[in-house]
This record gives sequence, C-alpha cells and structure tokens, in this order.
Amino acid sequence: MTDPDPSAATPRVVDLGTVVEPDEPEPPPPDDASLSPQAREEAARRAEQDRRDRRLVRKLKEGDERAFQELVTTYQNRIFGLMLRMIGNRQEAEDLAQEVFIIVYRAIGSYRGEGRFYTWLYRIASNTCKNRIKYLKGRNFHRSVEIEDSPQAQLPASEGGAVVTFQSQVPGPEATVEGSRMEQVIQRELAALDPEHRLLIVLRDIQGLSYQDIIRITGLQEGTLKSRLHRARLALKERLQPYLR
Amino acid sequence: MAEPSTTDADALMSAYLDKQLAPEEAAKVEQLLAASPEAREELDGLQNMLKLVKGLPEVEAPPDFYEKVAKKLRRRRGRGEVLWMLALPFQVLSVVMILVVAVTYMLLHLEHDPSVKLERDPAAKKTAELAPELAPVVP
Repeated sequence: MTDPDPSAATPRVVDLGTVVEPDEPEPPPPDDASLSPQAREEAARRAEQDRRDRRLVRKLKEGDERAFQELVTTYQNRIFGLMLRMIGNRQEAEDLAQEVFIIVYRAIGSYRGEGRFYTWLYRIASNTCKNRIKYLKGRNFHRSVEIEDSPQAQLPASEGGAVVTFQSQVPGPEATVEGSRMEQVIQRELAALDPEHRLLIVLRDIQGLSYQDIIRITGLQEGTLKSRLHRARLALKERLQPYLR
Repeated sequence: MAEPSTTDADALMSAYLDKQLAPEEAAKVEQLLAASPEAREELDGLQNMLKLVKGLPEVEAPPDFYEKVAKKLRRRRGRGEVLWMLALPFQVLSVVMILVVAVTYMLLHLEHDPSVKLERDPAAKKTAELAPELAPVVP
C-alpha cells in the first residue's frame, strides 16, 4: 500500500521472531485530578491489569506454566476476536490465535517489560495476522464466511433483504437470524477492505481500543492514525451503504 | 494502494466522532458541519455505520483454547527433541567422514611429495647424496 503521508512511522516489528517493544510512557496515575471520574476508574483498572500482567510475565520467565495459562485465558477472547474479524474464518482464526500465544511463550525472554504486555501481545497478533493474510492471498484462500449470496439477501431490510440493525424491533428467533445475517454481511465487507484499514476498524470500532493503544500497536503517528482511520471508515461506509438507514 | 485524498476537516471527522480532537480542531469540524449539508450527511452516515459495526457481537475463543495451545507447544517441543536425537548420529557421522577425508588427503599428498619421501626413505637419501643426478628432482 502506498501511503501518501510521509509522517507514517515504520512499524517496529520486523519479524515474528524479533518483536521489538514499543517505547511508551507509563500510564497516568489513577489519581490525576485532570481526569474525569470515568477516566480515572479506567486508568485504575488498567494500572491493576498492567501490574497483574507484569507479575504473570515475571513468573512465566521463571518457567511457571500456570502464569502462561493465566495470560492465555485473560487475552484469548480478544486475540481470537481480532483474528476472526481480520480473517473471517473461525478455524483459521483459532489456529492463528494459538500461534500468537506460542510466539509469546517463545519470545517472552526478549520482552523486557518496559512497555505494556497488552500492546506487545497485540503487536505480535497484528503482525502474525498481516503475514497470514499475505500468505493466504498468495494461495487464493477463500474465506468460508457463510453468507447468503442471493440477490434477495443483499437487499436492505425495507426491500426484504438483510436487516439494518442487530437489535430488531421485534425480538425473537427471526431477529436472531437477521442479526446473524447482518453480522455476515459486515464481516464480508470488512474482509474486502485493505488489511491496514481493516486492522484499524477492528482495533478501534470493534475492540474499542484507545487511540494511544493503537498508536503503540501499529507504530503509526497520531495524525496518520486519524486520517487513515477516517479513510477506513469511509471505505466501509461506502460498502455498507445499502444496509444503512 | 493509493488512498484517496481527504481534506483536513474531513480527516478530522472520525476523530471528532471519537472525541479525540483538541477544542480548536473540534471547532473547525463544527464550522464545517454548520456550513455544509454534505458534511453533515457524511457524519450521519459514519455514525450509522459505526452503530452497526460496534453492534457486532463479541466473540469468544473455544473453551478448550488453552489446552490446544499447550498441546501444540508440547508437540513442538517434543518434535524438536526427536529431531535433535535423530540428527545426532548423522552429525557424528558427518564429522567422522570429514576427518577420514582430511586424513586420506593428507596421506595421499605426503605420498606424492618427494621431499617428504626423501626424509622418510634413508636409502633414497643416500643415493641422492652419492649421485645427485639420479635423485628425484625436488621442485
């Protein structure tokens, strides 16, 4: 992808075996008076999570397998979710997510503990994922998202096609089916985006990561992130246009 | 892939929706929204799209996820040990072969080196002293 923005930072992860930790400042102290109560609460929660991660990483470095299990169970849903939304195939996503944790296990010795474990893990995951997408693209891999491809299914709800929202006005099995169909439509359109754009949408809009975390994970500069995320959203909006009210 | 160009205020629109703008940047976007119905339409479209995407259900990893990771790790570790054990005899054999080839070469080389032959054969050395013209020529 040609990035017109020269300020785009070079990703600092060059190889799966040599994952470089991002330089990142320590999180703000939770009792910072300039923060709103919600932000303070969030900062306190994150600080607690970071402390817990540091303790688990230290134990893992000492060879404690239970610490590894705890780290995996803490992050497995997020990493699996990232992979599933990026790849669109459940089996492939599961294999990739497992691969990420195996890389973590093997590379934990090189993790110095200066940055957050969380962002280090996500950097490994996003790089593993991008490499896999390149590989699958080369092999003409077809995602096995079960999407009804009939023209009727592609129409907006008002015309008898897929629904516009997950939360239908009429709850029940019908709404569940329609919600599931809409999920497949979004997944398909997401998969059609450029992988860099897809990653930003998944990290920000699906997983709800903060801009600062995304900057640490992707190595992008703030301005680049803002403009690229906007382009990604515009591209997805364009693709989902028939389903938007 | 070349990305389409966007104006400054356009590019700020997503950050505006995410409340990630400084007050002066937010004011710039609000000015644009007040002046341009197209910009308002775009903002509405983005909001609707985000509502859909953010409404995607959270996915959960399979319940036996960790067991599978641990199993893969064990298998790879086991495979590594087996490979090492399998490779060991071949590595030893390679070293022995290299040594045999080196020793054979040295012996053959020494056999063809007349100066060494002279040193090793006292009769030849004596002949060389008595009749130098009969002695083998040392290059």
